[in-house]
Amino acid sequence: MLLGASLLSANVGLIVWLSIVFLTTLLILRKYAWGPITSALSEREATIATSLNRAEEALSESKRLQEQNAQAKREAEQEAQKLLRDAREEAQVIRDQEAQRTQEEIALIREQAKQEIERDKQRALQSLRKEVADLAILAAEKVLQENLDGARQHALIDRFIDGLTSQEPNQTPSA
Amino acid sequence: MRPINFFLALFCALVLIFPSESMASDEDEFDAVHHSSDGYYLDFLPIGKVELPRILIIRSDLTGYGLRVYPSTKSALRSGEILAEMPDDGHQENTEDVEALINSGKHLDAKLVPIEGTVFLDLSITKHLIFALLASGILLVIFIGLARRYTQGIGRTTAPRGIFQNLFETLVVFVRDDIAVPNLGKKHALRFLPYLLTAFFFILTCNLLGLVPFGATATSNLNVTAVLATFTFVLTQVNGSKDHWRHVFWPPGMPVAVKFLLIPTEIIGLFTKPIALAIRLFANLTAGHLVILSLIGMIFILSDQFGNAIGYGVVPISLGFTLFVMFLELLIAFIQAYIFTILSALFIGMALADHSHSEAH
Repeated sequence: MLLGASLLSANVGLIVWLSIVFLTTLLILRKYAWGPITSALSEREATIATSLNRAEEALSESKRLQEQNAQAKREAEQEAQKLLRDAREEAQVIRDQEAQRTQEEIALIREQAKQEIERDKQRALQSLRKEVADLAILAAEKVLQENLDGARQHALIDRFIDGLTSQEPNQTPSA
Repeated sequence: MRPINFFLALFCALVLIFPSESMASDEDEFDAVHHSSDGYYLDFLPIGKVELPRILIIRSDLTGYGLRVYPSTKSALRSGEILAEMPDDGHQENTEDVEALINSGKHLDAKLVPIEGTVFLDLSITKHLIFALLASGILLVIFIGLARRYTQGIGRTTAPRGIFQNLFETLVVFVRDDIAVPNLGKKHALRFLPYLLTAFFFILTCNLLGLVPFGATATSNLNVTAVLATFTFVLTQVNGSKDHWRHVFWPPGMPVAVKFLLIPTEIIGLFTKPIALAIRLFANLTAGHLVILSLIGMIFILSDQFGNAIGYGVVPISLGFTLFVMFLELLIAFIQAYIFTILSALFIGMALADHSHSEAH
């Protein structure tokens, strides 16, 4: 009797009290606890969600910028390399031209020098021939005295010297 | 391992010394059911009992309705206005025998009957009411404190700080995201969240208070669980959609004959849901306590029957099982709070649902 009754007995007073207690707790907590807590939580969650979105956007933006930078860098490098290559080629061209011009100049100078030498040689030969002729005439005059007149002797000497000079050009280039 | 051993030993010692003494001094045997049931006193077992105030609304033909307040059952009986009626024989004690009854300690089980008129409503404070009030007080302190942190900005714009805030925020978010939102939908969840949170934490706190020494489990009282289930029932019916009521009174997609068979079933179904809620919570919380008390009682029953040596031998087995059931009860405290809340959310959500019935079922 006691066993069943004490566990299952209805107690209207307790029901009334408990309804009041629970309802009051519910209303107080709803106003002073659950309201502030849930609003704070949803506010925080909204903040976190928007910050995440913003971070996501910033990340993609920075990725885009990085990509752009890398692209620009690649282009600049290519540009620099191209410039370098061009400069190198240009320098090569200039160097080649310079070398050629120098070669030409050297050849020219050499040619001029050769001509100069040739001219000097001719001049020297001319004066030498005249000297030799005069000396020969003088010597022949002294040897022959009146045997021969001046004009015939001169023609003789000239013939002799012509014979010399026609032999000489063959010997000078080797000298 | 070591602290557990220590507490086990301490517990053994306490159990061995105190209840045996108190049982020796008490005339009647220790009664597990009596201990788990409600009463008009707080039980600090080895030390004594504190009697709670008795509040009676009395209706008499001569004076009409009257309120009688006594600080304790003892003083009510001594006042000379109230008689004690014993539950086992219905015998009403005379005022002269009151002192003897009080000395025997059985007066707390007696039904109070006024000499003049009848008891209209017994609003006496009971043990379970005290613990429900305690639970309510704990909730107010914890959650108003918690709310203050949020209004101060901690946890609103910054991360929550400290064990206190993190622990309770986790539970609050759990109730919101895993109980309210899946069953009620995002649209309605916030509207019913205060009720679900209050129910969850109230039941949880009541359950846990039963595991505290000298505590009592308010939720192991059918009256208490019935009140809670009634709240769910009222919320369900008040917020029932047109669909919900059409389902009950004119189930769609059925032959008419079947409809008449279904309507009573549906109406019964409205009530079985909260009744099941109330009984589930009550039975789960009562069972654990009865098992623990029975396991402890085994020690004394066996030592009575077979001598002290057997009694002592049973102690480790009995306490081992008790410890296990204690942990089980801790688990049940959370599980039952969760189940009550999620089923409440489910029932309210089902009544709220406003789905089209083009499909037959």
